[in-house]
Amino acid sequence: MPRFLLRRLLHTLFVVWGVVTAVFFLVRLTGDPTALLVDPSATQAEIAHTRHLLGLDRPWHVQYVDFLFGMLRGDFGQSIQLRRPAMQLVLEHLWPATVELAVAATVLSTLLAIPLGIVAATHQNRAPDHLSRLASLLLQSMPSFWLGLVLILVFAVQLNGLLPAYGAGTWRHLILPAVTLAAAPLAQNVRLLRAGLLDVLPQDYIRTARAKGLPERLILYRHAIWNTAIPFLTVTGLSVGFMLSGAIVIETVFSWPGLGRLIVQAIPGRDFPVIQAGVFVFALIFVLVNLAVDLLYAVVDPRVRLS
Amino acid sequence: MILGKRCGVRSLALLALAIPLCASPAHPAADAEGELIVALPDDTTNMDPRIGMGSIRSTYIRQVYESLVDVDAKGKPVPGLALSWKAVSPLAWEFALRPGVTFHNGEAFNADTVLFNLDRMFRRNLDRWGIKEVPAATSFEKAFPFVTRWEKVNDLTVRIHTSDPSPTLWDFIGREPLVPKDYTIKNGVEAVNDRAVGTGPWKLMEWRRKDSMRLERNSAYWGLQPQFARLRLQVIPEAGARVAALRAGQVGLVDAVPPLDATVLARDPAVKVVSSPQKLHCRLYLNGRPKDTFDSGGRDGLFTDSRVRLALNLAINRDAIIKKVFHGYALANASPVSSVSSGYAAQEPYPYDIARAKAMLAEAGWRDRGRGILEKDGAPLAMQLLFPSKHYGQAFDEVTLAVAEMLKDLGVQVTVRPIDFATLLQTVTKGTLPYDGGFTSCRTSNNLDADDYLRDWTALSLINWAPYPPELLELYKATRRELDPRKRLALLADLQRNVRDWAPVVSLYQEIKIYAHSPRVVNFTPLTELNMDFRGVALTK
Repeated sequence: MPRFLLRRLLHTLFVVWGVVTAVFFLVRLTGDPTALLVDPSATQAEIAHTRHLLGLDRPWHVQYVDFLFGMLRGDFGQSIQLRRPAMQLVLEHLWPATVELAVAATVLSTLLAIPLGIVAATHQNRAPDHLSRLASLLLQSMPSFWLGLVLILVFAVQLNGLLPAYGAGTWRHLILPAVTLAAAPLAQNVRLLRAGLLDVLPQDYIRTARAKGLPERLILYRHAIWNTAIPFLTVTGLSVGFMLSGAIVIETVFSWPGLGRLIVQAIPGRDFPVIQAGVFVFALIFVLVNLAVDLLYAVVDPRVRLS
Repeated sequence: MILGKRCGVRSLALLALAIPLCASPAHPAADAEGELIVALPDDTTNMDPRIGMGSIRSTYIRQVYESLVDVDAKGKPVPGLALSWKAVSPLAWEFALRPGVTFHNGEAFNADTVLFNLDRMFRRNLDRWGIKEVPAATSFEKAFPFVTRWEKVNDLTVRIHTSDPSPTLWDFIGREPLVPKDYTIKNGVEAVNDRAVGTGPWKLMEWRRKDSMRLERNSAYWGLQPQFARLRLQVIPEAGARVAALRAGQVGLVDAVPPLDATVLARDPAVKVVSSPQKLHCRLYLNGRPKDTFDSGGRDGLFTDSRVRLALNLAINRDAIIKKVFHGYALANASPVSSVSSGYAAQEPYPYDIARAKAMLAEAGWRDRGRGILEKDGAPLAMQLLFPSKHYGQAFDEVTLAVAEMLKDLGVQVTVRPIDFATLLQTVTKGTLPYDGGFTSCRTSNNLDADDYLRDWTALSLINWAPYPPELLELYKATRRELDPRKRLALLADLQRNVRDWAPVVSLYQEIKIYAHSPRVVNFTPLTELNMDFRGVALTK
C-alpha cells in the first residue's frame, strides 16, 4: 500500500506539472492581455509600455522559469485584471463557495439516488420504475441554465421570496443552486444504480440469500448494493471533480461567487496568472479525487485490495 | 469660468452656504437607515482609477472617488472637487478647489492632493513619492504631451501649464478621479485599489471580488447626500436572474436591462423602467489604412476610398435595427460624437438608400456585372467581418449579423468571423486585420468633450483604421487650439459634418441604457455617463 501511494503521489506531481506547463504555453498562444488593459485609442507605444510593466515583453522561457520557481513557493503572480495574488483569488473562490456547493450537490445527488435507484430496480417495468426513468430523462436533458431560472421564478418570484434568487452565505442561499447542480448527476446516478442492481439481483448469490430467508432489505443493502458500488463510485468521483472545478452555468445564474466564473472570466481576459493558478488547483483536485476513489475501491471491494 | 452646482450653489459668494445647502432635504417617507441593493452584470476589476474607468468600473469607482469636474443628469459639467476652472492664459489653466473637503480617512483634500494625482497621471516623480507605476488605460503623458507642468498657487488653487493652447484640459484632467496623497504614499498603490479611500458620497466597507461591494454613506460628504445608509452593488451576471431578483423584491434596482425585458417590465406597475442615452457608440470599422501602416501584403486597405465607406453607410437600415433589435432603446447618430457629449452637433442622418449607395459605388468603380456581386477590375468587393461575439451583448451580435446581410444585399461579399474580444484586440493591435477586413466594436468615453471621440482618427491606434486626410487633420488641430468656446463649437460642428461625409466608419447605433427599479427607490435619475449616481436618491419604507 505505501508503495502504491508513493507511486500515485509521484504520478500526481507529474500530471500537475504537465498540465500547468501545457496551460502556461497554450494561454500565451491565445494572445496578449495588454490590449485589453489600454484604451481603444492607445497607440503602439502605449501598448508596448504596458506590456513592459506586466513583464510580458520578456522571452517565454524566462517567464516559464519564473513561473516554475514561483509555483514551488505557491506564488502564481498577480492577477492581471484584478491586481491581487492569483492563488489567493482562486482559494477565496474555492473555499467556501465552491466547496459548499459541490458538497451539497454531491450529497443530494448521491443520497437521493440510492433509494430512487433501488425503487426503480425493484419495481422494474412498473409505475415507480417508469416514473423514475422519465424523471431521470427529464433531469438529464433539462439545461441547468433553464432549470435554474425556473426555480428562481417559482421559489423567489412566485412564492414571494421563499428562497433567495441570488448570492451565497446562508443555507437558504444554497438550496436552489445545489438542487440545480445536483439534478443531472442525480438522474445519472439513479440510472446507473438501477442498471447495476438489475444486473446483480438475478445472480445466484442473491437467490441463495433469499433461499436462506434473509430479509429483502438486508439483501439489497448488505449484498446487492455493494456490488454496484464500483461504477457508482467512479462516476461520483468524476462528478465531484467537475463540481469542485466550478459549475459555471450555476454560478452565473445564481450569482454564486465560485471558482468556475472566476476562471471562465479570466480566459477571455487573458488573465494568465489566474488561469494558471486555477488550472493548477483543478488538476490537483481531479488527481486527488481520483486517488481517493481508487483507495475507496479497496474499501468496498476486497478483491481490489488483494490484487 | 464654469459655475453652477449639483446642490444649488451658483456663485462663489454662496460658497459659505454650500455645505448647509447640501445637507439634503429628506424625502418624507425616506428610510434613512435602509439599504439599497443594486444588481449589476459584473464586478469592477479595479478601484484605482488610474488602472482604468471603462465600462462598468465607473459605477463602482465614482461612488468612492471624485473628480475636480462633476457632471449633472444631463451630462453637463458642474463643480466637483473644484469650485471653478478657467484658462488664465492661452497656455495655463487654473482650478479653484473646494475648501473643507476630506477623504474618508480624514486626510484633507487640497492643492497637494491634486499635484500628487497629476504626477501619477503623467508618471512623474513616482520615485520621489516612493510609489509604483500601474499599467494604466490612458497614458496621459502620451495622449496629452502638451501638458508641461503644474504648480500650487495656494492651498486651494492649482495651475496647469501647457505648451499649446488646450481648450479641453478642464475635461481630460478634470474628470479623472482623485486619490488621497498621504494614504497612497503610506500604503502603496495597492491600497488605492484594494481599500479605496476617496472623498465621495459612499465609503467602501467590504469588497468581495466578483460578488458584491458594500458601501456606507459618508456622513461628512460635502454635497448632496444619499438618503439611505447603505448601498450594496451586487453582481448578478444573468439578465433574467437580475430581473427576477427585482420582481422578488430582493434587489431595489437593476442595471443593464435587456430591451425586450424592458418592454415587458414597463407594463408591470410594481416596477419602474427608466433609461438614458449613453456614450456607447457601436460602429463597423473598415480597413482604410494605407499599406505601409499595417500588415498589408503590399495592398492598401480595400476601404480607403471614402465614397465606398459612405455608400456602405447608406446601405444600413438603422430604423429597422432600432425597432426590431432594440425595441426603440437605441439611437441612430450620424455624428462621430456621442449625442450627449459637449460639443456634439447633430448631423444629417445617413438615409437608407440602396440605389444611391450603388450609384456611389459605381462612381468609385464598383459595378454589378449581373451576378449580384460588386466588382472592380475583376475582383469582388469583399469584406472579412470580424466581430467580438458575446462581448457587448446579444443585441450587438444580432446587429452585426443584420448588417452583414444588408451589405450582402448591396452586393458586398461578406464573410462573418465571430471571434473573442481579446483576439479582435490582438488583431488590431498587431495590425493584422486583412486588407479587406472590417470589425464591429463599440466606443465610449469617460470625458465630457467631443474631442475624446474626434481624436480617434489622428494617431494610428487600435480603432483608427481610416486616418484623417491632411485637411481634416488640420481642422481637428484647429479645434484643439481654439480657446474661444463659441468659435470652438463652430469648428467642432464643421469637423463633425466633414467626418460624417468622409465616413471613417459605418455608424450603427448609440446605446440607450435601461434600468429598472422598485417604486421604493425615489429620485433615481440615470446619467448619460457610464456610472450611476445615488446622491439625493431615497429609499421609502
